[in-house]
Amino acid sequence: MNDKIKEAFEQIQAEDELKQNTKNFIFDKTNGYKKGKAINYHRLASAFACIAFLAVGSHWLYFTPTVEISIDINPSVELDVNRFNRIISFESYNDDGQKLMDSLDIKFMDYSEAVNQIIESEDVVSLLSDGEVMTIAVIGTDNAQSQAILSNIQACTAGERNAYCYYAHSEEVEKAHEAGLSYGKYKAYLELQALDPAITVDEIRNMTMREIRDLLSALSGGGNGGANRPGNGNGRQNRGNRKR
Amino acid sequence: MAIEQYSNMVRRLCMIHLKNYADTEDIFQTVFLKYVLSSVSFDSKEHEKAWFIRVTINACKDFLKSFFRSHVTSLDEILEMPAEMPEDYREVLEAVLSLPQKNREVIYLHYYEGYTAPEISRILGKRVNTIYTLLTRSRQMLREKLGGDGYE
Repeated sequence: MNDKIKEAFEQIQAEDELKQNTKNFIFDKTNGYKKGKAINYHRLASAFACIAFLAVGSHWLYFTPTVEISIDINPSVELDVNRFNRIISFESYNDDGQKLMDSLDIKFMDYSEAVNQIIESEDVVSLLSDGEVMTIAVIGTDNAQSQAILSNIQACTAGERNAYCYYAHSEEVEKAHEAGLSYGKYKAYLELQALDPAITVDEIRNMTMREIRDLLSALSGGGNGGANRPGNGNGRQNRGNRKR
Repeated sequence: MAIEQYSNMVRRLCMIHLKNYADTEDIFQTVFLKYVLSSVSFDSKEHEKAWFIRVTINACKDFLKSFFRSHVTSLDEILEMPAEMPEDYREVLEAVLSLPQKNREVIYLHYYEGYTAPEISRILGKRVNTIYTLLTRSRQMLREKLGGDGYE
Protein backbone atom coordinates (compact mmCIF):
# COMPACT_ATOMS: atom_id res chain seq x y z
CA MET A 1 0.00 0.00 0.00
CA ASN A 2 2.87 2.35 0.83
CA ASP A 3 4.19 2.54 -2.71
CA LYS A 4 0.77 2.73 -4.19
CA ILE A 5 -0.18 5.74 -2.07
CA LYS A 6 3.13 7.36 -2.74
CA GLU A 7 2.81 6.89 -6.47
CA ALA A 8 -0.74 8.14 -6.42
CA PHE A 9 0.32 11.31 -4.65
CA GLU A 10 3.20 11.64 -7.05
CA GLN A 11 0.62 12.19 -9.78
CA ILE A 12 -0.39 15.42 -8.15
CA GLN A 13 1.87 18.19 -9.32
CA ALA A 14 1.49 21.91 -9.01
CA GLU A 15 0.42 23.22 -12.41
CA ASP A 16 2.80 25.60 -14.13
CA GLU A 17 0.02 28.12 -14.41
CA LEU A 18 -0.56 27.94 -10.67
CA LYS A 19 3.12 28.47 -9.96
CA GLN A 20 3.34 31.35 -12.40
CA ASN A 21 0.25 33.03 -10.98
CA THR A 22 1.62 32.70 -7.48
CA LYS A 23 4.95 34.15 -8.54
CA ASN A 24 3.25 37.08 -10.20
CA PHE A 25 1.11 37.63 -7.15
CA ILE A 26 4.09 37.58 -4.80
CA PHE A 27 6.03 39.84 -7.08
CA ASP A 28 3.18 42.34 -7.22
CA LYS A 29 2.72 42.28 -3.49
CA THR A 30 6.36 42.72 -2.63
CA ASN A 31 7.67 44.86 -5.49
CA GLY A 32 10.16 42.20 -6.37
CA TYR A 33 11.60 41.91 -2.89
CA LYS A 34 13.47 38.65 -2.62
CA LYS A 35 14.01 36.64 0.46
CA GLY A 36 16.89 34.51 1.45
CA LYS A 37 20.52 34.21 0.60
CA ALA A 38 20.53 36.59 -2.31
CA ILE A 39 19.82 39.49 -0.02
CA ASN A 40 22.40 38.60 2.55
CA TYR A 41 24.90 38.15 -0.19
CA HIS A 42 24.17 41.56 -1.61
CA ARG A 43 24.39 43.21 1.77
CA LEU A 44 27.61 41.43 2.50
CA ALA A 45 29.03 42.39 -0.86
CA SER A 46 28.16 46.02 -0.45
CA ALA A 47 29.50 46.07 3.08
CA PHE A 48 32.77 44.64 1.86
CA ALA A 49 32.86 47.12 -0.97
CA CYS A 50 32.45 49.95 1.52
CA ILE A 51 35.20 48.63 3.74
CA ALA A 52 37.51 48.12 0.81
CA PHE A 53 36.76 51.58 -0.47
CA LEU A 54 37.46 53.13 2.92
CA ALA A 55 40.64 51.14 3.31
CA VAL A 56 41.92 52.05 -0.12
CA GLY A 57 40.79 55.63 0.33
CA SER A 58 42.45 56.14 3.66
CA HIS A 59 45.57 54.34 2.52
CA TRP A 60 45.68 56.66 -0.45
CA LEU A 61 45.03 59.71 1.73
CA TYR A 62 47.75 58.79 4.17
CA PHE A 63 50.39 57.38 1.86
CA THR A 64 50.25 59.92 -0.92
CA PRO A 65 53.15 62.31 -0.53
CA THR A 66 52.03 65.89 -0.98
CA VAL A 67 55.27 67.63 -0.15
CA GLU A 68 58.88 66.56 -0.38
CA ILE A 69 61.66 68.04 1.65
CA SER A 70 65.06 67.75 0.05
CA ILE A 71 68.04 68.31 2.32
CA ASP A 72 71.56 68.54 0.91
CA ILE A 73 74.83 69.17 2.68
CA ASN A 74 76.87 66.34 1.56
CA PRO A 75 74.38 63.82 2.77
CA SER A 76 71.55 64.18 0.30
CA VAL A 77 68.21 62.99 1.57
CA GLU A 78 64.62 63.54 0.62
CA LEU A 79 61.66 63.16 2.93
CA ASP A 80 58.17 62.49 1.60
CA VAL A 81 55.54 64.22 3.70
CA ASN A 82 51.87 63.32 3.49
CA ARG A 83 48.92 65.66 3.85
CA PHE A 84 48.92 65.15 7.61
CA ASN A 85 52.49 66.50 7.84
CA ARG A 86 53.92 63.07 8.61
CA ILE A 87 57.00 61.57 7.05
CA ILE A 88 55.83 58.54 5.08
CA SER A 89 59.08 57.67 3.37
CA PHE A 90 62.58 58.91 2.85
CA GLU A 91 65.28 58.33 0.35
CA SER A 92 68.96 59.00 0.38
CA TYR A 93 70.81 59.95 -2.76
CA ASN A 94 74.34 59.12 -1.65
CA ASP A 95 76.21 57.05 0.91
CA ASP A 96 76.43 59.79 3.49
CA GLY A 97 72.71 60.29 3.21
CA GLN A 98 72.16 56.58 3.75
CA LYS A 99 74.33 56.70 6.88
CA LEU A 100 72.41 59.67 8.19
CA MET A 101 69.07 57.98 7.57
CA ASP A 102 70.23 54.77 9.22
CA SER A 103 71.16 56.69 12.34
CA LEU A 104 67.72 58.30 12.65
CA ASP A 105 64.28 56.85 13.07
CA ILE A 106 62.01 59.45 11.58
CA LYS A 107 59.37 57.41 9.81
CA PHE A 108 55.81 58.60 10.56
CA MET A 109 57.25 61.43 12.60
CA ASP A 110 55.99 64.96 12.20
CA TYR A 111 58.14 66.67 9.55
CA SER A 112 59.29 69.58 11.73
CA GLU A 113 60.55 67.20 14.38
CA ALA A 114 62.25 65.11 11.72
CA VAL A 115 63.95 68.11 10.17
CA ASN A 116 65.07 69.22 13.61
CA GLN A 117 66.53 65.80 14.30
CA ILE A 118 68.42 65.89 11.05
CA ILE A 119 69.75 69.38 11.60
CA GLU A 120 70.73 68.53 15.13
CA SER A 121 72.29 65.17 14.35
CA GLU A 122 76.00 64.95 15.05
CA ASP A 123 77.06 64.57 11.45
CA VAL A 124 75.12 67.58 10.30
CA VAL A 125 76.17 69.75 13.21
CA SER A 126 79.83 68.97 12.61
CA LEU A 127 79.49 69.53 8.88
CA LEU A 128 77.81 72.86 9.42
CA SER A 129 80.39 73.98 11.92
CA ASP A 130 83.07 73.14 9.32
CA GLY A 131 81.48 75.74 7.14
CA GLU A 132 79.54 73.39 4.91
CA VAL A 133 76.44 74.71 3.20
CA MET A 134 73.04 73.21 3.77
CA THR A 135 70.16 73.66 1.38
CA ILE A 136 66.64 72.63 2.19
CA ALA A 137 64.21 72.56 -0.67
CA VAL A 138 60.51 72.24 -0.07
CA ILE A 139 58.94 70.67 -3.10
CA GLY A 140 55.21 70.79 -3.57
CA THR A 141 52.45 71.80 -5.89
CA ASP A 142 51.85 75.40 -4.88
CA ASN A 143 49.49 74.61 -2.06
CA ALA A 144 49.03 76.02 1.39
CA GLN A 145 50.72 73.05 3.03
CA SER A 146 54.01 73.51 1.21
CA GLN A 147 54.00 77.22 2.02
CA ALA A 148 53.42 76.45 5.67
CA ILE A 149 56.21 73.88 5.73
CA LEU A 150 58.58 76.25 3.97
CA SER A 151 58.01 79.07 6.44
CA ASN A 152 58.28 76.62 9.31
CA ILE A 153 61.63 75.29 8.07
CA GLN A 154 62.88 78.78 7.39
CA ALA A 155 62.15 79.55 11.00
CA CYS A 156 63.99 76.40 12.11
CA THR A 157 67.10 77.20 10.17
CA ALA A 158 67.14 80.92 10.84
CA GLY A 159 70.01 80.40 13.27
CA GLU A 160 72.23 78.67 10.73
CA ARG A 161 74.35 80.94 8.64
CA ASN A 162 74.95 78.47 5.90
CA ALA A 163 71.44 77.20 5.47
CA TYR A 164 69.32 78.03 2.49
CA CYS A 165 65.67 77.32 2.16
CA TYR A 166 63.70 77.61 -1.00
CA TYR A 167 60.64 76.31 -2.70
CA ALA A 168 60.41 74.26 -5.86
CA HIS A 169 57.59 72.92 -7.96
CA SER A 170 57.22 69.18 -8.13
CA GLU A 171 57.51 69.04 -11.93
CA GLU A 172 61.14 70.18 -11.80
CA VAL A 173 61.90 67.55 -9.24
CA GLU A 174 61.00 64.67 -11.50
CA LYS A 175 63.91 65.56 -13.77
CA ALA A 176 66.24 65.61 -10.78
CA HIS A 177 65.14 62.12 -9.80
CA GLU A 178 65.64 60.90 -13.34
CA ALA A 179 69.23 62.10 -13.07
CA GLY A 180 69.55 60.29 -9.74
CA LEU A 181 70.13 63.42 -7.71
CA SER A 182 68.22 65.07 -4.94
CA TYR A 183 66.68 68.35 -5.94
CA GLY A 184 69.15 70.62 -4.16
CA LYS A 185 72.07 69.07 -5.98
CA TYR A 186 70.24 68.89 -9.26
CA LYS A 187 69.65 72.60 -9.14
CA ALA A 188 73.29 73.25 -8.42
CA TYR A 189 74.16 70.84 -11.21
CA LEU A 190 72.07 72.83 -13.68
CA GLU A 191 73.83 76.02 -12.66
CA LEU A 192 77.22 74.38 -12.96
CA GLN A 193 76.38 72.88 -16.30
CA ALA A 194 75.48 76.29 -17.67
CA LEU A 195 78.98 77.45 -16.80
CA ASP A 196 80.89 74.26 -17.53
CA PRO A 197 79.15 71.82 -19.89
CA ALA A 198 81.74 69.14 -19.10
CA ILE A 199 80.49 68.56 -15.58
CA THR A 200 78.71 65.23 -15.02
CA VAL A 201 76.09 63.99 -12.64
CA ASP A 202 78.47 61.44 -11.12
CA GLU A 203 80.93 64.13 -10.16
CA ILE A 204 78.22 66.10 -8.46
CA ARG A 205 76.72 63.26 -6.52
CA ASN A 206 79.48 62.92 -3.97
CA MET A 207 80.51 66.55 -3.71
CA THR A 208 79.37 68.51 -0.70
CA MET A 209 77.20 71.52 -1.21
CA ARG A 210 80.10 73.67 -0.03
CA GLU A 211 82.35 72.21 -2.75
CA ILE A 212 79.68 72.72 -5.37
CA ARG A 213 79.11 76.24 -4.23
CA ASP A 214 82.81 77.00 -4.26
CA LEU A 215 83.11 75.51 -7.71
CA LEU A 216 80.19 77.61 -8.85
CA SER A 217 81.62 80.82 -7.56
CA ALA A 218 85.04 79.88 -8.94
CA LEU A 219 83.55 79.36 -12.39
CA SER A 220 81.30 82.38 -12.37
CA GLY A 221 83.66 84.72 -10.56
CA GLY A 222 86.50 83.95 -12.96
CA GLY A 223 88.84 82.45 -10.39
CA ASN A 224 88.12 84.64 -7.42
CA GLY A 225 86.37 81.81 -5.64
CA GLY A 226 88.06 79.71 -3.06
CA ALA A 227 87.88 78.84 0.51
CA ASN A 228 86.37 82.10 1.63
CA ARG A 229 82.70 82.48 1.20
CA PRO A 230 81.74 85.62 -0.56
CA GLY A 231 78.80 83.87 -2.14
CA ASN A 232 76.85 83.28 1.00
CA GLY A 233 74.94 86.49 1.20
CA ASN A 234 74.37 86.51 -2.51
CA GLY A 235 73.36 82.91 -2.38
CA ARG A 236 70.71 83.59 0.12
CA GLN A 237 69.43 86.46 -1.93
CA ASN A 238 69.44 84.48 -5.11
CA ARG A 239 67.61 81.70 -3.48
CA GLY A 240 65.08 84.13 -2.22
CA ASN A 241 64.44 85.38 -5.72
CA ARG A 242 63.78 81.90 -6.92
CA LYS A 243 61.04 81.31 -4.49
CA ARG A 244 57.68 80.86 -6.03
CA MET B 1 13.02 29.98 -5.49
CA ALA B 2 10.86 28.48 -2.79
CA ILE B 3 7.87 28.28 -5.11
CA GLU B 4 9.62 25.80 -7.39
CA GLN B 5 10.80 23.77 -4.47
CA TYR B 6 7.66 23.46 -2.42
CA SER B 7 4.78 24.03 -4.83
CA ASN B 8 4.16 20.32 -5.40
CA MET B 9 3.98 19.66 -1.69
CA VAL B 10 1.69 22.62 -1.07
CA ARG B 11 -0.43 21.52 -4.01
CA ARG B 12 -0.88 18.04 -2.51
CA LEU B 13 -1.71 19.44 0.90
CA CYS B 14 -4.30 21.65 -0.75
CA MET B 15 -5.75 18.69 -2.54
CA ILE B 16 -6.12 16.89 0.77
CA HIS B 17 -7.97 19.78 2.36
CA LEU B 18 -9.75 21.67 -0.37
CA LYS B 19 -12.24 20.85 -3.00
CA ASN B 20 -11.46 23.11 -5.91
CA TYR B 21 -8.75 24.80 -7.85
CA ALA B 22 -9.65 28.43 -7.17
CA ASP B 23 -9.24 27.84 -3.46
CA THR B 24 -5.89 26.21 -4.08
CA GLU B 25 -4.70 29.33 -5.78
CA ASP B 26 -5.77 31.37 -2.76
CA ILE B 27 -3.83 29.10 -0.46
CA PHE B 28 -0.76 29.28 -2.66
CA GLN B 29 -0.83 33.03 -2.49
CA THR B 30 -1.34 33.04 1.26
CA VAL B 31 1.42 30.54 1.97
CA PHE B 32 4.11 31.96 -0.27
CA LEU B 33 3.35 35.54 0.65
CA LYS B 34 3.66 34.57 4.27
CA TYR B 35 6.98 32.92 3.49
CA VAL B 36 8.33 35.98 1.73
CA LEU B 37 7.20 38.37 4.43
CA SER B 38 8.07 36.26 7.43
CA SER B 39 11.25 36.91 9.33
CA VAL B 40 11.71 33.30 10.37
CA SER B 41 15.23 32.12 9.87
CA PHE B 42 15.37 28.44 9.13
CA ASP B 43 17.99 26.21 10.72
CA SER B 44 17.83 23.72 7.89
CA LYS B 45 15.94 22.58 4.83
CA GLU B 46 13.98 20.20 7.04
CA HIS B 47 12.94 23.05 9.26
CA GLU B 48 11.83 25.06 6.26
CA LYS B 49 9.86 22.14 4.84
CA ALA B 50 8.10 21.53 8.14
CA TRP B 51 7.31 25.23 8.29
CA PHE B 52 5.67 25.01 4.87
CA ILE B 53 3.62 21.97 5.87
CA ARG B 54 2.36 23.62 9.04
CA VAL B 55 1.60 26.94 7.41
CA THR B 56 -0.20 25.29 4.50
CA ILE B 57 -2.34 23.11 6.74
CA ASN B 58 -3.21 26.06 8.93
CA ALA B 59 -4.00 28.20 5.93
CA CYS B 60 -6.31 25.50 4.59
CA LYS B 61 -8.06 25.12 7.90
CA ASP B 62 -8.46 28.86 8.34
CA PHE B 63 -9.83 29.01 4.87
CA LEU B 64 -12.38 26.29 5.52
CA LYS B 65 -13.40 27.91 8.77
CA SER B 66 -13.89 31.32 7.21
CA PHE B 67 -17.31 32.84 7.16
CA PHE B 68 -17.54 32.81 3.40
CA ARG B 69 -16.78 29.12 3.12
CA SER B 70 -19.12 28.03 5.86
CA HIS B 71 -22.06 29.94 4.44
CA VAL B 72 -21.65 29.56 0.73
CA THR B 73 -21.46 26.28 -1.04
CA SER B 74 -19.46 26.22 -4.18
CA LEU B 75 -21.14 24.86 -7.28
CA ASP B 76 -18.12 23.06 -8.54
CA GLU B 77 -17.38 20.84 -5.61
CA ILE B 78 -15.94 18.22 -7.83
CA LEU B 79 -12.45 17.06 -7.20
CA GLU B 80 -10.23 18.17 -10.01
CA MET B 81 -7.75 15.51 -10.79
CA PRO B 82 -5.75 15.23 -13.96
CA ALA B 83 -7.97 13.48 -16.45
CA GLU B 84 -5.23 11.30 -17.83
CA MET B 85 -4.48 9.75 -14.43
CA PRO B 86 -4.37 5.95 -14.55
CA GLU B 87 -7.34 4.18 -13.05
CA ASP B 88 -5.63 2.56 -10.06
CA TYR B 89 -4.01 5.79 -8.91
CA ARG B 90 -7.33 7.56 -9.19
CA GLU B 91 -8.89 4.80 -7.12
CA VAL B 92 -6.26 5.18 -4.38
CA LEU B 93 -6.51 8.94 -4.28
CA GLU B 94 -10.26 8.87 -4.15
CA ALA B 95 -10.07 6.41 -1.28
CA VAL B 96 -7.63 8.66 0.58
CA LEU B 97 -9.75 11.73 -0.03
CA SER B 98 -12.85 10.00 1.21
CA LEU B 99 -11.27 9.69 4.66
CA PRO B 100 -11.87 12.35 7.32
CA GLN B 101 -9.53 15.31 7.08
CA LYS B 102 -7.23 14.45 9.96
CA ASN B 103 -6.73 10.94 8.59
CA ARG B 104 -5.86 12.34 5.18
CA GLU B 105 -3.18 14.53 6.71
CA VAL B 106 -1.37 11.76 8.50
CA ILE B 107 -1.65 9.46 5.50
CA TYR B 108 -0.02 12.04 3.30
CA LEU B 109 2.70 12.96 5.77
CA HIS B 110 3.48 9.35 6.60
CA TYR B 111 3.23 7.62 3.27
CA TYR B 112 4.31 10.34 0.92
CA GLU B 113 6.62 12.63 2.86
CA GLY B 114 7.93 9.73 4.91
CA TYR B 115 7.64 11.34 8.32
CA THR B 116 7.52 9.10 11.37
CA ALA B 117 4.71 9.36 13.90
CA PRO B 118 6.76 11.44 16.38
CA GLU B 119 7.75 13.83 13.58
CA ILE B 120 4.13 14.17 12.48
CA SER B 121 3.08 14.82 16.04
CA ARG B 122 5.56 17.67 16.21
CA ILE B 123 4.48 19.18 12.90
CA LEU B 124 0.78 18.98 13.68
CA GLY B 125 1.13 19.74 17.36
CA LYS B 126 -0.65 16.59 18.43
CA ARG B 127 0.28 13.82 20.83
CA VAL B 128 2.31 10.97 19.42
CA ASN B 129 -0.24 8.40 20.51
CA THR B 130 -2.96 10.28 18.67
CA ILE B 131 -0.89 10.03 15.50
CA TYR B 132 -0.35 6.30 15.97
CA THR B 133 -4.07 5.81 16.44
CA LEU B 134 -4.88 7.93 13.42
CA LEU B 135 -2.41 6.03 11.27
CA THR B 136 -3.72 2.64 12.31
CA ARG B 137 -7.29 3.69 11.83
CA SER B 138 -6.56 5.27 8.45
CA ARG B 139 -4.83 2.12 7.28
CA GLN B 140 -7.84 0.06 8.24
CA MET B 141 -10.22 2.40 6.45
CA LEU B 142 -8.13 2.39 3.30
CA ARG B 143 -7.93 -1.37 3.35
CA GLU B 144 -11.68 -1.60 3.54
CA LYS B 145 -12.18 0.86 0.72
CA LEU B 146 -9.62 -0.63 -1.59
CA GLY B 147 -10.65 -4.18 -0.99
CA GLY B 148 -7.70 -5.10 1.11
CA ASP B 149 -5.83 -7.16 -1.46
CA GLY B 150 -2.18 -6.39 -1.70
CA TYR B 151 -2.36 -3.57 0.84
CA GLU B 152 -0.95 -4.04 4.21
